[in-house]
Amino acid sequence: MAAYLVLVGAPVLGLLGILEAGRAIAAPVSVGGEWKIEPDSAVSCADVPAGMSISQSGAYALITLKDGETMDGAVSGATLSGKSLQASIAGNAAGRTLQGTMRLNRCGLIAFRAARQPRKQGE
Amino acid sequence: MLNLFQLVLQIAVILVAARLVGFLFQKINQPQVVGEMVAGILLGPSLLGWLAPHVSAALFPPSSLSYLNALSQVGLVVFMFVVGLALNPSELRGYGHAAVLTSHVSIVAPFCLGGLTALYLYPRLSDDGVSFTGFALFMGSAMSITAFPVLARILSERGMVRSRIGTMAIACAAVDDVTGWCILAYIVVLVRVTHSGRPAWVTIAGSIAYVAIMLFVVRRFLPAFEGAFRKADSLSDNLVAVVVVLVLVSALATEWLGIHLLFGAFLMGAIMPKTPEFTRYLLHKFESVTVVLLLPLFFAFTGLRTRIGVGGGRSIWLYSAIVIVVAITGKLGGSMFAGRLAGTSWREAAALGILMNTRGLMELVILNIGLDIGVISPAMFSIMVLMALVTTFMTTPLLEWVYPKRLQMQQAGETHQQVA
Repeated sequence: MAAYLVLVGAPVLGLLGILEAGRAIAAPVSVGGEWKIEPDSAVSCADVPAGMSISQSGAYALITLKDGETMDGAVSGATLSGKSLQASIAGNAAGRTLQGTMRLNRCGLIAFRAARQPRKQGE
Repeated sequence: MLNLFQLVLQIAVILVAARLVGFLFQKINQPQVVGEMVAGILLGPSLLGWLAPHVSAALFPPSSLSYLNALSQVGLVVFMFVVGLALNPSELRGYGHAAVLTSHVSIVAPFCLGGLTALYLYPRLSDDGVSFTGFALFMGSAMSITAFPVLARILSERGMVRSRIGTMAIACAAVDDVTGWCILAYIVVLVRVTHSGRPAWVTIAGSIAYVAIMLFVVRRFLPAFEGAFRKADSLSDNLVAVVVVLVLVSALATEWLGIHLLFGAFLMGAIMPKTPEFTRYLLHKFESVTVVLLLPLFFAFTGLRTRIGVGGGRSIWLYSAIVIVVAITGKLGGSMFAGRLAGTSWREAAALGILMNTRGLMELVILNIGLDIGVISPAMFSIMVLMALVTTFMTTPLLEWVYPKRLQMQQAGETHQQVA
């Protein structure tokens, strides 16, 4: 019983301490998931992709536009930046939005807004 | 839309790769399953996608992967039933407190080290969409799991199943697996409740009611299958179909409750009657298709999601090294220490630690759940897949080094003489 308390009980208490200490640690803002893109009303180009998906690992983001173009991105504070994309991140985790500019091959530099789509059950 | 030609081609390529790499791994004294796991990685972006991106894109376009995923999930449901079926609580008898202490230490040590590592990795490889608690608990449970099926296969191939270390390892792995799955179920509930908006009490109360129904109602009817088997020395196709339906209904119940399909399949297997002949018969019925056809699809799907070395620059290799060292220290070291405390020699304790450090495909199952529910990032997933491969691959050579077959046979002979 004493051995059990020392070898199992004490580490469990240590784990509770770790979980408490971890609450103070901040991770990069979440941008991972599927996004619906809405170009600014002034944009006349019809080739703006309807959406993009972002695969995020910490501050690193792999951005894949619906037209197949991919680029590496980085999250720094409330900003997402990639080779041809710059956007500010707003909203909370449940309703996150992006607002900024992106450079597309067929449209040039355009202003856009994007809203993250909710995760589907089972995903 | 389903492209049947592409799906069948994918399955054929995956099966050929799995059998070929599995065969090559057997040549270097590794279990076939380790080769199949590696084959999955080779077909993904880490090798095929890197060497021949056009071939990879034509063979495995992202739009086609949902069908492959669906097939592999069906395979996993059956596989988890088989794992539960092979789990026998009576194996714990005779070990008493020593087994409980050893198995619990072998869970707690890697669990705590996993939590400690989470303090470092959370701000680097996660995001604020995941709570630290969820991330740390997941890291802990992923570090503490043991691949019960791979362990059993290694012991069987080495003729160690009935040895003192073999039986102890199986008993400890059984306790580890059940504990690990319970913790994982809690994490899934924790994460899904946050995202789904369903009240937590619904999932918790529903889960308790589900387990109670399975243990106290469904379990009472299951010996009828065993009775039918005894009479005819086999089960009719209709009865086998009923078993399959029970597995599916149980899986659907846990999925509906917000835990996961696999928990239901596992519990259904765990509460089946455990007569050796009956268990062997069911294992034989279900194992062939699952192991030969469906599991390689799961390995390939896992491989297609794995991008080794991507997602954090050169630091990713440092993170990988940290995770591998922590995983080995926690599981191998913790189990070895606990085994020594339970009264085994240092050599036997080391062998126990090496065996318990085998994570194999159970780790891949858990990691896929973690990636699906978003508790780990793609880079963290890839690092943990690499850790699973390293810890599984190292088992056989390390075991041969620490506990060679000649020594094992010598000890078996001495025991035989003492008995005589």
